[in-house]
Amino acid sequence: MERVVTANELAAIADEAMRTGRTVVGPVRRKERYFYEAVSRGADLALDFNYCVYSPRSFFLPSSETVLSYSIGTKEVKAAPATGGTPLLIMGVHPCDCNAVALLDAVFGSGVPDDHYLARRKDSIVVAVDCHGPCDQTAFCRDMGGNEAKEGFDVMLTPLNGGKGQAAERYLAAAATERGKELLAYNKVGKAPANADKDAAEKFREARNANFKKKLPYEAEKLPEILDRSYNSLLWQVTAKRCYSCGSCNLVCPTCYCFTVKDVPDLSCASGRRVREWDGCQLQDFATVAGGHNFRPESSSRLRHRIFRKGKWIKEQQGRMGCVGCGRCDRACTAKISVVEIYTQLAEER
Amino acid sequence: MVSPAPVSAKPKIAVFSLTGCEGCSLAILELEDVLLDILGKFEVVNFREAMTERSWDIDIGFVDGAVSTPSDVEEVKMFREKSKVLVAIGACACTGGINTLKNYQNEEDYRKYVYGNKWNVFPTIPAQPCSAFVKVDYELPGCPMNKFEFAELAKSVLLGKPFKLPSDPVCVECKKKGNLCLYEKGLVCLGPVTRAGCGAICPTYGAKCEGCRGLVDKPNLQAAAENMVNLYGMKIEDVLADFRMFGAYQKERIP
Repeated sequence: MERVVTANELAAIADEAMRTGRTVVGPVRRKERYFYEAVSRGADLALDFNYCVYSPRSFFLPSSETVLSYSIGTKEVKAAPATGGTPLLIMGVHPCDCNAVALLDAVFGSGVPDDHYLARRKDSIVVAVDCHGPCDQTAFCRDMGGNEAKEGFDVMLTPLNGGKGQAAERYLAAAATERGKELLAYNKVGKAPANADKDAAEKFREARNANFKKKLPYEAEKLPEILDRSYNSLLWQVTAKRCYSCGSCNLVCPTCYCFTVKDVPDLSCASGRRVREWDGCQLQDFATVAGGHNFRPESSSRLRHRIFRKGKWIKEQQGRMGCVGCGRCDRACTAKISVVEIYTQLAEER
Repeated sequence: MVSPAPVSAKPKIAVFSLTGCEGCSLAILELEDVLLDILGKFEVVNFREAMTERSWDIDIGFVDGAVSTPSDVEEVKMFREKSKVLVAIGACACTGGINTLKNYQNEEDYRKYVYGNKWNVFPTIPAQPCSAFVKVDYELPGCPMNKFEFAELAKSVLLGKPFKLPSDPVCVECKKKGNLCLYEKGLVCLGPVTRAGCGAICPTYGAKCEGCRGLVDKPNLQAAAENMVNLYGMKIEDVLADFRMFGAYQKERIP
């Protein structure tokens, strides 16, 4: 299902979603950067944003959430699972983050399904908006295939006019899921695309494809093979000399999903909450187990672990790249350690 | 990590102060929402900031302030002797805090600056944390300490559960809050090597982290010095001064 919609009509869809009880989230400009935030008017959504500092991950996997509350009686322990938040409409998600959502869906939906994550996803609608090209010089989405999304969204918006940094007034809205079709049908907005609209969309896609340039000297499919040869590379130790193990790269990553679980008792000590919080494999105690043994005590081994997860192991487990190339890790690193540089250097080592 | 010593059914607690502003003692009284619950679980027997009664039968003694005078030395030893569990609270008691800045100045100069012409009647020693003189069971760092961390320690003691400070750096809390990194705004912050637990309160309000909670367990100070000088154009003297603000007494030094 495809409709041509105006920017005003998209704002009206957001306003209607709010009226019917959804929280509407999208890119909002805060001084020099954009952030995903809940808005109070659809018109506040900045669909011409370059990139958001954080991905929409925190709306599906909050940095801290209560998973159950418990009380210890004299005879029994009672535990009640916590339920999800309000239904969401996230409008303005770039293809890289859609790919990340698709990966999180696969991870939390397989094995023992994660009820908390899935409940939030079930109640959410994701409206994607296509990019004119790389959002800045840090992104390497073209290499990782992150600049093309087939999943992780319900409706894809293709700008029909405007340009980089200039908001489009008209979009081609293509529903990718039943939920997406319902959203467009329910709001009764827009009109069927004319041939001229289809041409404009095609022209946009051709231009965008030309704008995305490769950064790696090889195809990303080769990455697992290159990493296989690099497990004992000196590069890990050399790079770790600059690394703080601060975990910033993990915590801004749209595909990082590791968490830790803590019990937080009330002062009465007879009741409390079980809380899960974001964790990150770069942090000193990430691989510390009961008894105190740490499987990755050296920061070089943690650094290598992250690169192997993103470039090889997640691909092997989930059939999808663990990295979407959004470049947030490189931007967040105050030591200016770059994943692209690491991938490039490893290839040069052979 | 020390497991809590056995304590009586309603543990008796005391709060003492050495050289400092006593802001950490005050932080306990600012635990308004849970203060009554704490008072229901603990018996406060000695607390200069809050009461006139004095008892020396103490299960858990909390100390704020640095050891900075000869009388502080005697007092901290007495607090240790009288308390089954001794907890240092706040930057001064845990790392010496900003008091240690005087250790890098001329003694006569700073004594005259503070006490004027009566300077020689107030004896002084280089400022040091409690742990330089006595065994300290737990430390709750920060300037001031995080009062909620105080409540967490209280719960751990009641449950007989080990208490451990966060090992993550402040960056983790900034990212969890969704802050824009101060480095992106051109500020060089000590967050990457400073122990979390403050909720990244300074960066959240736009001020750089000054490291009041001390360093993480394994800080990469070599990286800190090189990155701050080579990547951010700081002078090495300024880097050292930033680290000295709260960290003058810490064992880990910029190499």
